[in-house]
Formats: sequence, C-alpha cells, structure tokens
Amino acid sequence: MPLVKVPQPTFVQKLKRFFMMDLVRGLGLTLKYNVGAAFDKDSVAGKGIYTEQYPKERPDVAPRFHGAPRLNMDPETHETLCIACNLCALACPEDCIDVLAMDVEVVVAGKPRRKKVLDEFIFDTSRCMFCALCQEACPTSCLELTQDFELATYSRAGFVWNREMLEQGRETVKYTK
Amino acid sequence: MHQVEIATTQETLLDSPEMVLNMGPQHPSTHGVLRVVLKLDGETVIDLDCDIGYLHRGMEKIAENRQYPMIAPYWDRLDYIAAVSNGLVWVETVEQVMGLDVPARAHYLRTILTELNRIASHLLWLATHALDIGAVTVLLWALREREEILKIFERQFGARLTCHAWRIGGMTNDAYDDFDVDVRRFVNNFPKRLDEYETVLSENRIWLSRTVGIGVISAEDAVAIGLSGPALRGSGLAWDVRKSRPYAAYADMDFDIPVGENGDTFDRYLVRLEEMRQSRRIIQQAIDGLPDGPVSAKLPKVVKPPAGDYYHSIEAPKGEIGCYLVSDGSAHPYRVRVRPPSFVNLQALRQMCIGHLVADVVAIIGTLDIVLGEIDR
Amino acid sequence: MNACPLFLAPLNFIDSLLVKLGLAPETINYVVWPLIQIGVVVTVVAVWVAYGTYLERKISAFMQARLGPMRVGPWGLLQPIADGLKLLTKEDFIPEKADRWIFFFAPYIAVAAAFIVFSVIPFGPDWAVITDVNIGLLLVISVSSVGVLALILAGWSSNSKYSLLGGLRSSAQMVSYEVSMGLALIGGLMFARTLSLSGIVTGQASDSIWYVLYQPAGFLIFLISGIAENNRAPFDLPEAESELVAGFHTEYSGFRWSLFFMAEYAAMVVVSAIATTLYLGGWYFPFVYKLEAAGLHNAYVIVSALVFLIKLSVVLYLYFWLRWTLPRFRYDQLMDIGWKWLIPAALINIVFTAFSVFVVQALDAGQVLKTIEDTSHGLNLTGAGKIVMIVMGIVGLLLTGGLLSLVNWRSRDFNLKSQRRNIRLVSVPSGVSAVNSTKPATAPNEV
Repeated sequence: MPLVKVPQPTFVQKLKRFFMMDLVRGLGLTLKYNVGAAFDKDSVAGKGIYTEQYPKERPDVAPRFHGAPRLNMDPETHETLCIACNLCALACPEDCIDVLAMDVEVVVAGKPRRKKVLDEFIFDTSRCMFCALCQEACPTSCLELTQDFELATYSRAGFVWNREMLEQGRETVKYTK
Repeated sequence: MHQVEIATTQETLLDSPEMVLNMGPQHPSTHGVLRVVLKLDGETVIDLDCDIGYLHRGMEKIAENRQYPMIAPYWDRLDYIAAVSNGLVWVETVEQVMGLDVPARAHYLRTILTELNRIASHLLWLATHALDIGAVTVLLWALREREEILKIFERQFGARLTCHAWRIGGMTNDAYDDFDVDVRRFVNNFPKRLDEYETVLSENRIWLSRTVGIGVISAEDAVAIGLSGPALRGSGLAWDVRKSRPYAAYADMDFDIPVGENGDTFDRYLVRLEEMRQSRRIIQQAIDGLPDGPVSAKLPKVVKPPAGDYYHSIEAPKGEIGCYLVSDGSAHPYRVRVRPPSFVNLQALRQMCIGHLVADVVAIIGTLDIVLGEIDR
Repeated sequence: MNACPLFLAPLNFIDSLLVKLGLAPETINYVVWPLIQIGVVVTVVAVWVAYGTYLERKISAFMQARLGPMRVGPWGLLQPIADGLKLLTKEDFIPEKADRWIFFFAPYIAVAAAFIVFSVIPFGPDWAVITDVNIGLLLVISVSSVGVLALILAGWSSNSKYSLLGGLRSSAQMVSYEVSMGLALIGGLMFARTLSLSGIVTGQASDSIWYVLYQPAGFLIFLISGIAENNRAPFDLPEAESELVAGFHTEYSGFRWSLFFMAEYAAMVVVSAIATTLYLGGWYFPFVYKLEAAGLHNAYVIVSALVFLIKLSVVLYLYFWLRWTLPRFRYDQLMDIGWKWLIPAALINIVFTAFSVFVVQALDAGQVLKTIEDTSHGLNLTGAGKIVMIVMGIVGLLLTGGLLSLVNWRSRDFNLKSQRRNIRLVSVPSGVSAVNSTKPATAPNEV
C-alpha cells in the first residue's frame, strides 16, 4: 500500500489524537441525538424523531401522486367522462389498458346518429408502471391517477380492474391501532 | 452466462493456501445482485472476477419496440437511485436530435431537480458505504435527508423513486406551489447535516484506517479503463461533463469541481461530500435566478427523429451516462445503447482489490458506487 | 437479620416451612437458600439480557432519530417476549453435513460459560452475592474463556466455509484480548490485595475511593479489551453482516441462535459487572453505609444492589453508544490493537502501578508524608496518600500513551494524521451554454 504524504502534526493535533478527540466528537453527536430524541415524541421533520408511525398515521401524499387509476364521472349527471377515444391505450408503454367501445343510437338535432360510447375498460395494474402517460393522453381528464398506493390483493386476478372498480375506486382499510 | 475463470492451482483445497470464495449474488454488501468470485491467499485477495447479468431486463431491446416518449419511464429503472438524471439523458438526446428549443425555465428547473437528484444519490451512497464499514447511524441520518428530497420529487413529479420526470421538449407540469419554499428550506438545512456526517466520519481514526490507501487507482489507469464521475475525480483529473460540455442551465452556474489526489477511498469520499456542497450551491443559484415562461416546447404528434446515429452524455451522479441512438426515421428507434457509468467503473474493481483484504473488497465496491440496474440493464 | 418485619415475614415463613419438612438447618442454609438465590439471579439476569436487547433497539433508534419497537405492548415493552416466542417456535434446522452432537452442544456451552460467572459477582454486601469464593476474579476470567470454546465448536460443526472463517477469527480475537483484560485487572488488585470480588469492593468501600481514580489507564484498557472480548463494535468484524453474513452463527436459527445471542449479552453484562466491581466501586456509594449504621441492614443491602445495577447500566450504555457510532475495525487492525497497543499498555500499567505503590509505601516508611491508613482491607490511604496516588494515575496514563506511541512509531495506522483535506476545488471555465442556443448533438458518427 502506498505511503500517504501528510504534513507533520502540530502539538495540539497530537494532544487531540491522544485524547481520541475525533472519536469523542462523534460520540458526543450521537449522545445529543439520543437525549434529544428521548425528550421529543413528535414525528416532525427536523426534530428529534423522524418516524411516521404508519399505519396509524397516514402519510401526506402529494396531489400529483401517481397512484391507483380512476375513471372520473361527471359530478352532475354521473355519466362517465370517457369518450372511448383509445388514446390512453395507445400511449401506454406496457399495453395494460384495454378500451372496448360500442355504438349507440342517439338523436342529435332531430337526426339519428351513431355515437361511440364506452362499453368496458380493462386496466391491468400488475403490468402498470405508474408512468402517467395515460393520464396525460386523456383529453377529457377522465382517467386520473389518484393518491391510493395500497394496491395489494390476494390473487393475481385481483390486479385486473374493470370499469366498475375503476369508477368506484377502492376502499382503504382504516387502521385504528 | 459468463464463465468465471478463477480456480485454485492445487487438486484439493486442503493442500493449497489459496481459497476461492464466492461473494454470491445474494450478499448484504454487493449493492445489488453482483457476484464476485475471489481467490484468496489467507485473507489477501490475489484474483477477482465479477459475474453480472442477474438484473438484465432487456431494456435496450424493449426500447426498439416503443415510441420515443414511451421509453422515458423505462430509463428511470436503469440507475433507479438517481432516476431523474437517467430520464434527462434520454430526453436531451432526443431533443438535440430533433432540434427542439426547450424554454429557459425548463432548463433551470431541470438543473435544480437534477442537482437535488445528485444529492439524493450521493446521500444513499454515503449511507450504504458507511453501513458497510460499520457506522450504522450515518445510514439512518443520510436517509432522513434523502427523504426530504424524495418528498420534493413526489410533489413535483408524482413519484418518489422512478419519477418519469422529463418529457421530450421540457416538462409536463410547472413547479408546484410550494416548490420554492421547499427547495429553499432544504438548501438552508443541508450544510448543517453534512457537517454532522463529517463529525462522525471524516476525522474518525477508524474511518481513516479503513479508507486511506484502500482501493487506489492512478490517474493514468483511470483514464485507460474509462472511469468517470467521482471515481475519476478522486484520482486527480478534473473532468466533469457539466463543465466540458454543458447541458441544461449549467453554463450559467458558478460551481467548482472537487478533485482528489491519491485516488483512494478516502479521497473519493471527500470528493463526493464536496460535490454535495457544490450541488447545493448550484441549486441556490438556480432557484434564485429562476426565469419565468413556459416549461415545454411544442412537439410534433409523433416523434420521428431524422435518420442517423447520435450520442449525448450527461454527468449522472455515478459518472458519465451516455445514450447512443440509432434512428431510422420511424417512430421507433432502431437501436439504443446506454453507456452506463457503473458498468465501466466496475472494470476497475479487479485492479483496485488485488493485494487488499476481504474486508476491503466490500469497502471498494461501496466506493465505486455501482448500481446493478445500470450495469445489467 | 433485624428490623424490617414486612420484608422478613415471607422469608421466615419459608424458613419455618422448610423446618417442618424435616430438613436440617445446615441443609436449609447451605443448600436451599443458595438454590433460591441462584434462581433469583438467573431470572434477573435472563430478564436483564432480554430487556437488554430491547434497550439496545430503543437506544440505537433514538440515536438514529427514529422510534424503535413501538407496536408490541406500550412503547414496545413486550417486544423481547414476542421475539422469544417467535424464536422458540421456529423450525430446528441442522445442516445436513454438520457434526450433529457438537452443533447441538455449542450454544449450551456458551450460555453456561456466561451464566456461571454470575455466582461470584457481588451485587450487594451481605446476602446479595451467591458465593464469595476467595479466588473470585480468577474464576471469572477462566470461566469466560470457556466461552471461546463454544465459538470454535459452533464454527467448525456448521461445516460451512463462512462459519468456519468467522468462528476462527472470533476465537483468535477473543483469546488475544483476554490477555490484556487479565493483565489490566492486576493493577486494581495491587490496591485490593485480594482476588475475592467482595473483598475488592470492601477494599474500595473502606478506602472511600473508586479505583478508577487510581487506575485510569487500567480502566480504559479493561473496557476496550472487554468490548473486543465480547465481539462488539467497533471490534465486531467476525460477525459483521456485510462480511461473512453472520460469522460462526450463520447456520444457527431459532432457539439455538437465541442462546448465542443471550450468551453474548450475558457476557456483556459480565464484563460491565467486573468493570463496575473493580473500578467503579461495586455496590459502594458514599453515605449509603449510613443505612447500615441506622440499623436498616436489609435496606442497606437492597440500596447497594440498586447502586450496583445503576453503575452496571451506565457501563452497558457505553457498549450501545460505541456500537452505533463508530465504524468497525478490519481484522488485522483489530489484532494490531490487541497485541501492539493493549498488551504493552497493560504491562506498562502493571509496572507503573507497582512503582507508584512503592512510592507511597516509601513515603510512609520514610516518615515524609503519612500516606497509608491501614492495610487490613486492601490498601487504605490517607487524604494525602490519595492525592499522590491520583496524580500518579494520571502520570501513568500519559506515560503509557507516550510509550505506546514509541512502540508503534512505524506502524501505518499511527502515521495517519488527521484532517487530511487533500481535495482541491477546481474552477474550470465551462463550454457554451445550452440555454440560449439549439446546438445539435455532437457530430453524427460515420456508420
């Protein structure tokens, strides 16, 4: 191993080395943390304890968080906002969206027209990488990634969500202790 | 599968003084699924071979079947610790090939968030390196700082780790409402924390005994192998892509490059700590001088770069990450090749470890700062 | 025994019960009561060891700005019980090629070696010690050495490269540090003049001093050797996770592993207890004897036992504190420290202590200064004598440090001076800004 070229130490440095000041300073810092944490029970950033006691304390999830997908509905008419344009399925890198549309007869200005409406919407969350390209592609802000991150299920089939599950969302388990 | 060519010279292991030890893919300290086969004489390493490929996911092949904007989320999974800079190299390559004019505000925001990403990556490096050498408390403290940065990422991009931060042409969303407040608070609190890590480690005689003179690589060897990033700067060469080929808003920023002297583990440790300080300086300047304006350029509906091959690289926290793109004019790239810094840096492992003890191998793997996601892709 | 009828009532009741059973008084006093004492001590130590793990987790958590166990019971207090139950119900897994009987016995040897020592440790003055053997200290050192055997057997019988390496390294380390541990104790013995542990505490009590004031070097050497003996950080490379997964106990799981764990914590308590007994005054604390003088003998014993436990906890805290702050030494550095620093230091300490005792005796005999009080319970010194001795202690510390530096002048680690800020900040002018221009990528390559 090559020798390390360093300048000669001063007397104060030698004294510090003798009394192991480098170790003592580190020990002093951990003691300060120990004493500080023993008297501080808040889990607040920057103070003694930094722990968030999940699942008792729910974390602060950001509004833009890429969580579970949801199909939004018009708040007044409770009809889906989806126009079955298939842009989300085309944008998805993982091919996990399947949009099935059907034609319905509607009367527009007295004339019968065929309009494409959403029939079934299949979203495979096990393949999804939550990149939000589908959310960006959606022209009507129907498909949205919510703040729900607790997506575990007991079976593989439980990961494939259909239109009903996407519209209603999922219930989060409330932990009381 | 790569055939590992290390074997002992004797017939039975009981006769020979040499022993072949396998630090297998499942090991607490190999920073991912890396298999290192060591040939030991007692406790001294006389030969070393790495076996990689346990995390190969075929990303470059996947990229051949996706359109250009869809590839960006995959690139986060390369160096999953510092996902923002991976996304940046892809997005910047495509932007430069297409000749897009990214607005200034996007460049500044990119600078701020990429530097935050650099600090986050270095904090994780410090945490795991200190953990390997035994100072467990530093792990928890560094991760607490990293948590602050990840919260900023979550509020800005929507994800903490694999962010899908950038889009071709800029960013999706402008900075969120409290962005300025959060970043400034981080910038103000950070130097105190760095001093705390230095108190526990930098002068500690045990730390010095474990890192000084360990894993030395000279500047000539470093250049010959192709090292980049802090591994190269620890050996004395002042090479930083942010200075030599500036991208984003780095040409407007005033910062220095820390350069080591001896090329040992301790110098690389000091270099990375100092880089965190310089990153903080960059963030301070960028947030003070953040211009107004749009955050995205206009994109064509389908991104079709002109045919040809192109290379662009940026300074990721681990070194120089590059993207070699061969385009045939269609909406899918013909071939994409990533130049991962950890892959090239790992080649230096053998030279650095020979002659040291087994305990040092762990320290040297830590100081090279490798991520298997990048190495195996 | 006198006074305190509330306390005596159950004891008298048990006594009368035993007499009714037809046992002779000798049997009662020499067999039954010691068995009860042993039972109490083993229970207390086992509970202490279990909650030692809890304390370690809580203290390390506070140092790391987190909370530690919180879910099992209030503040996580039932965590050791939950851990114990989990370990008891785990599958008993013996590797196929392992040496079955040795694999089976090794943990029990470790636990036995750690627990036997508690029979001579003086928790308190009168009946708070199970037995007061007059070679108590020698017994402690020799029985703890048996623990090393358990390590080697465990490493060997697991029949795995990692375990064997770990076991051999651990045992080599423990054997090296036992030497300096034993030698460091001799300094204190020169004042106590007896190997009996109760006698050592009585020596400090009658002299109204803690021997750490006379022997700062000895205390430090003993503590550092003790920490290394117990394979605790910063000397825990043999069982460090990042190296060899878990060293000699890699292949153990469930109950057997918990026995090793208990043995390690019990050994920690033993070393702390010896350090407290020999250097920190044991159960002696100024003004507690007034309880005895007031006639409250049992209260005196109990308060003294509490004093002992508090001092023991302080030394134990040091273990946790050091583990979670300092990085660990590499194996060759560890052995260097044992052989080249601590053993010479212990030897220098013995020589210098002998010299200082000689000085004190010469001062007394030559009528220069009245230094010695009396020598019935160890070496008791007058005030002047104490000052002389304390000064000599400090001089000894400095001298030991100086001589050690001389011995290790050429070693590489000693030449590592601190504060090597050898990195320089380079200001390099940067290239063209990418903000204001749309520079295309670097020139396309020729295909």
